[in-house]
Order: sequence, then C-alpha cells, then structure tokens
Amino acid sequence: MEARSPSRWGAQEWAAVAMFLAVLAVPWATDDLLVQSIVNRVLIGAMAALSVFIMLRMDLLSFATPAFMALGGYAAVLLTMHGVTEVLLIVPASFLVPALVALPLGALVLRLRGVYFVLVTFVLTEILQLVLFMTPRLTGGADGLAGFPAPTLLGTELSDARSVLALAAAMALLAAVITAALTAHFRQHFAAIEENEVLAESLGLVVWRYKAMGFVVAAGIAGMAGFSLGNMLLTVHPTSFGAQQAVDTIVYAIIGGRGSILGPIAGASLLVTVSDFLGNQGQYAQGLFGLLLILVTLVARGGIAGAVAALARRLRAPRAAAGPAAAAPEAARGGA
Amino acid sequence: MEPAAGAVAGVEELRVENLAKRFGGLRVLEGISFALAPGDLLGVIGPNGAGKTTLINVITGRTPPSGGRILLGGQDITGRPTHAVSRLGVVRSFQQTNTFKAASVRENVSRALRFSGGAGPQGWARVAPLLDAFGLAPRLGEQSDKLPYGLQKMLGLTLAYAANPKVLLLDEPAAGLERSERTRVDEFVRHVRACGCSVLIVEHDMDLVRRLCPRIIVLDAGVVLAEGPPAEVLARQDVIAAYVGADAAGDEAA
Amino acid sequence: MHEFLTAGIIGISLGAQYALLALGFTLIFGILGVINFAHGGFYALGGYVAYAAVSQAGLPFPLAVLAAVVATAALGALYERFLIERLVDDHLATMMLTLGLYLVISTGLLAVFGPQSPEFSFPVQGTLRAGTLYLPLENLVVLAVCAAAIGALWLLIYRTDFGRALRALADDRKVATTQGMRPGLLFPLAFGLATGLAGLTGALVTPILALSPSAGDPVLVTSFLTVILGGLGSIAGAVVAAVIVGFVEAYASVYLGGSTGALILFVTVLVILLARPTGLFGREIRGA
Repeated sequence: MEARSPSRWGAQEWAAVAMFLAVLAVPWATDDLLVQSIVNRVLIGAMAALSVFIMLRMDLLSFATPAFMALGGYAAVLLTMHGVTEVLLIVPASFLVPALVALPLGALVLRLRGVYFVLVTFVLTEILQLVLFMTPRLTGGADGLAGFPAPTLLGTELSDARSVLALAAAMALLAAVITAALTAHFRQHFAAIEENEVLAESLGLVVWRYKAMGFVVAAGIAGMAGFSLGNMLLTVHPTSFGAQQAVDTIVYAIIGGRGSILGPIAGASLLVTVSDFLGNQGQYAQGLFGLLLILVTLVARGGIAGAVAALARRLRAPRAAAGPAAAAPEAARGGA
Repeated sequence: MEPAAGAVAGVEELRVENLAKRFGGLRVLEGISFALAPGDLLGVIGPNGAGKTTLINVITGRTPPSGGRILLGGQDITGRPTHAVSRLGVVRSFQQTNTFKAASVRENVSRALRFSGGAGPQGWARVAPLLDAFGLAPRLGEQSDKLPYGLQKMLGLTLAYAANPKVLLLDEPAAGLERSERTRVDEFVRHVRACGCSVLIVEHDMDLVRRLCPRIIVLDAGVVLAEGPPAEVLARQDVIAAYVGADAAGDEAA
Repeated sequence: MHEFLTAGIIGISLGAQYALLALGFTLIFGILGVINFAHGGFYALGGYVAYAAVSQAGLPFPLAVLAAVVATAALGALYERFLIERLVDDHLATMMLTLGLYLVISTGLLAVFGPQSPEFSFPVQGTLRAGTLYLPLENLVVLAVCAAAIGALWLLIYRTDFGRALRALADDRKVATTQGMRPGLLFPLAFGLATGLAGLTGALVTPILALSPSAGDPVLVTSFLTVILGGLGSIAGAVVAAVIVGFVEAYASVYLGGSTGALILFVTVLVILLARPTGLFGREIRGA
C-alpha cells in the first residue's frame, strides 16, 4: 500500500543528467565558435532556469535569480583577482556565497507567498543591482570587473575557448545533479507545499525548512550560473544581473515547463538558440518570448516538457491500456 | 468499524484558558475557556462570524492569540507554530475540501503519514479501516481532486486522522455534504473516539450536533454564550435569539 | 532655497504622474487580484499613440491624448475580457499573461517605430514666472491634468454606482457576485480604466521625458514601489505614496545624487514588504 520511495530518481532526472554529460563532449566535438558560444549561453541559461525551477516546485516565482547570479559571479571573480584561481575552490565559492546570503534572507522573505513573494524578490534584484553600481571600490561600479586572471584547474590555465566551454558544461552538470537530487529527494514535500501548503503544515510538515532548503540551493545554482557568465564574457557587470535577466530565466522555466526538470533545460536550449538565430533582430526575441508565454499559459500549462510528456502518453496509451492504470505522471502537474 | 489495534497512544486532554484574539480593534474571541477529557467530544456552534474557525486557527497556532493559554496534557503549547502543535497531537480539518489536489489518494495518505512522522505499515494499518468505510480503498490510485466532493471531504478528515492526533479539531465536517453522506461524519467521529482521540467539532448541522455531541458550547460575537447538553442549551432564549436572522437558521431547519 | 523650491515643484509634478500610474495598478490588484506587469507597456503605448496621432494624423495634442486613452483602455479591457478573465484566480498565470503582453507591446513598438526616440515635444512651451521662481509651463499643465484625472477617478470610485460595484467586488467577490454585481462586465471595465490611466500618463508625460519602446521599464518599477508603499490595493495610499516617491526622487537627485534616492526607496519598500505587507497607509489587503 505504501507509495514508492520518495528519493528515487525518475526517468526525467536521469535524462537531464545524461544530457549534460553528453554536452561535456561538445568542446571536443566542434571547433565552430558560433556553436560553442550558443552552447555556452544555453548552459548558463539552463542553470539559471534550474534555479527558478526549484522555487517553482514550491509554487514560488522568484525574480531574485539575477541577484544570486551576481553574488556568485562577483565572488568568484574577486577571488581570482586576489590570486585564488583554482576552479576547485572558486566554483564551490560561487555556490556557497549566494547560498550563505540566502539563508538569513530566506528567513525573512519566505514568510511571504504569492504576489508578495514575487514583489519582494523583484525588489531584491533591483537593490542588489543598485548596490553594485554604488560600490565602485569593491565591484568596479558601472565599469564592472574585467581583466581578471583565467581560472586554473590544478595549475593548468583554462583560458582557451574549449576549456571555458568545458568548465561551463561541468558546472551545468553539477547544477543538474544537485537540482535532480534535491527535487527528487523532496518530491513529495515540495509537491505538498505547491499543492496545499496550509494542509501540509497542519499535518506536521515543517514547511519553512523545505522552503529554506530550496531557496538556498536555488541561490547556489544561480551563483554558479553567474560565475559561468562572467567566465564566458570575461567580465562581470551590473547590467548582466537586472530585472530583464530575471524575466528571461522565468520565461525559460515556464515555457520549458515547470513540472519537470527537463522543462527549464528545454526552455533555455530552445529560447537561447532562437534568440541567437534572430541575430541582429535580437530585440524581437523578447516579443517571441512574450507570445510563447501567453500561449503556454493559456493552452499548455506544462510547457514544452508537459506537452511532450502528454504526447508520449497518448502514443503509449494503446499498449498501456491492458495493464493497470498508471499513476498520473509528474509532468502533468505543470498547471496548478 | 473496528478500531485499529495499537492506535491508542498516551491520550491527553486539551485545556483552553481565557483565550482571546483581537484583530486591530476588532474583538474576535474573548475569555474562551473549556477543557476536553480524553475521548471527549465537544460541539461548538454559533452564527457565522462568531469566531469558530478563528478558535481552531488559534489553537493550532495558525494565528497567535492575543491572550490566554492553551494546554495539552498540562504542557503549555500557546504560540507554538502549526507544525509543532500538529506533531504534539493537535490536528485540524478544514471547512473547504482540503487535499493535495494533484496527488492520488494513496499519495495523500502517504504524505499525511510521512509529514506527521508516522510513515510505515502501522500508519497505514491505522488508516485502513477509514479508507474502507468511506469507499476510498478501491480508489487509491485516483487523483484526489477528481473524486466526488463528498469523498474529497472524507479524505480530508482521514488525512487529519492519519497525522496521529490526540485531539482532532473538525471545522464543519458536514458542510457541503449530501444528507445521505452526513452519517459518514458520525462514523468518522465514532471511530476516532473509540481510538482514544478527543474531538472538538464546529458544525452548523444541528441534527448532527444533537446526535453526536453530549456537550456543546455556543459562541456568539467571540464569547461563550452558553455551555451544556445540546437539548438544554438549544432551548435557551438567548441562544435562539443569537441565531434569529443568522445564516445558520436555514441550515438548522433543513 | 531656490533649489529647494524648484525640486519641490518637480517632486509634486512627478508625484501626480506616479499617482495616476499607481492608481491604475492598485485598482487592478485591488479588484482583480492581478499584478499587471504590462502597466509600463500601456504607458509606452499611450505615448506612441499620441505621437502617431500628432505626427501622422496631424491631430491636435489634446485629441491625440484622448486617442491614446481610448486605445489603451480598449486594449486593456479586451485583453482582460478574452484572456486574463479565464485564469483570473491563478496569480501566477495572470502574471505570466501580463508579462507576456508587456514583452509583446514593447517589441511591437520597437518593430513599428524603431529603437530611436522620436521627435515628440510638448505643445505648450515656456515658463511661468512667480517671484524669483521660474515654473516650466509644461509641468504645470501635466500637473493640472493629472490632478483633474485623480479627482475624476475619486468621484467615479466613491460617488457612482459603478464605483460602489467595483469596491464591493474588491471587498468580497463572492458576496458581491451573489448581490448581482457582474464580474464578467465590471472586470474588463476596471482593467480598461486602469490601463487607460497608464495610457493617459504616457501620452502626457513622454513628450516631456522621453519616448522609447522600453519607456515602460522604469514606469513598472515605480508603480511597484508606489503601490507597495501605499498598500497593495489601497487607493488613498497610492496617491499619498506617489507624492512621497515623487518628492524623494526629486530631492534625492538634487541633494544625494545618483542612485541613492532609488536605493532608499527600494530598501524602504523591502522593509515594508517584510514587516507590513499592507503598506504604510493601507488596510485593504487581499490574501497572498
């Protein structure tokens, strides 16, 4: 009678990790700089969208992703400027600094729900951006930080295009593993909070503990994305971490599908690539995002991942009909 | 229905002393005191806005009281957060259907057991008789918000019981149920009391209150207007006056 | 002293604009429970409609402003009626719908009018001399129109049946509906009213400030700030908060410089959200 073990990874978690494992080969598979650049930006977008996804699992829409990206990015870059270039140190730092900030911050903001949480995270991003502009001695202010030393791996410099991409892929893989582990392990808890937080709490679930855990991990993953962005652009600048970026990452997660870890990955892959192909008309990508956002909200609440899962279910249906009715797959939950 | 074996833990009594709740200048509860003995059943009635749901919210730590104390088995639990109160054994049900909507019946029960720290075969064994009695057992795989309303409501009650309570606070368990379905509430209450649970039941259905409750209190505008056996209390002039023109009148006449 | 007074006049003029924007924003939240991410988009759209009416159709400025109000109000009402209405109780979905609309509006403006700011100037130029003070006429006209609009809105909300119906819906939709109010009719009207106010502000103000497809970005942020400060959903709070925000912005830019004023406002708003989500003045609140 007991439901299956809560921490077991499903096909989607394995697929997500396998995809990023495969991407690890891309730096060696192609020398095409355009392809490498797109893949790199997809990886960064996917990491940021995973951060949004974690919060969406608990029905919390966060605009604070760019703020945490900035914390991670600036922390890592400042470390390299102070002589610490070892990636085995700066990558963890880019995760830990925003995560540590998120811990006390979470105690304050996670009491808010719904639109109030949205607004408070929006305000956080605006505040951090202003602070970056106003602290030129630490963060370079409006100039940002540039010309920092390349990161190293056990003494080897990672400065060529191939190593930059490989590092981005490795970080994205790490982000996917962490996200999969967290959301699979607490699947039931997060789902309970998403569906009915009040009931979960009244049955004894310590809701704030799970929200805090999600918030801290989401901040850490955003921080890695921030470092990855700085490493690709060779600069960290306040304008990379504003409300616009918050909207982009939310769009990736929602259009890709909030019900499955594959959603944000699919959303970032598709939308980053599309905006790249729009090239000079890059501004028009925003309009496309807007249309897709409206469309997904109205007709495909599970986003791309949800739609694909529904299609797969329909194709499989004739075969499955003979067997016992399957429990509703996770991806179908996108709406709510 | 037979009480599940081993369900009766150390049952305690709930004592509410001089409880008060004010929102700004608005007095919602004032000087509420009562006690629940182990296995006891207390009905709480009163017109809409009398503070009945607020009473449950305050006892379960959803809203902090403005004054007074709540004791569970002699231990002061005033001001503790909801999850802590729940773990200590005071669990509520909700007026509206309250389940984890997208989850199956099985997942719902499994979450209730896990969140309350009672996952495992014993937990399921404790809940099984209720699932059988309400006809939920054959529908374990169904998504909970696709169930008929009455069944969702019974699932909500079952979830509260699954959390292994010593005291159950039921907020209008019969509201929205068909007449024929309301006896299931009787069944539920009888079962949990047989397992040693104390029950506080807020209800508008006066037939049900008369049937089930040996003792009731009447709340009106946040204060206890009357207390005693239902037959006696409901005959009092001031109680009738409190209900005249109030929304509950229709419900009662039905 | 001079500087102080001049900044004060700029402050009150900003405050009046912000009040119009915030009133629309807070009406939508108060009545529908929707956060309108497209609010800045309607502002920019209003500016461009007025610009096109003047430069393409050769309309006089007042008529161009009217055209902007009608266009933005109609678009808002239709968008509510046909899209938002379906998902009005799902706060996340409505945010996505309005955010999507904002992206579409600003991209549409970009596609039609290009990224450059068009030549669009206020028809009334010159200054009014009061003692040793020079008051730009354009600011005074904007102030007067905004004040009149705020007054009219106040009468509409508090002195008409339409306003009573809207307030009843904001208080308790279920009760209001059972008493015969029709959300299906009133919601689009309220939404259109609010977006029309944003369009009005855009048409009036962009000739003085600047018109660009992304002119709505700062407007959305200011509306957020003002409305949280005044209490989400509170009408009087929005006006008072708008005046405060206007003054803080005007004085901070003179005496503090740079982004300090903005930072002060944001931090204040953060503290308010955490400590008192009903805002400085508001009592009205919807479940979050």
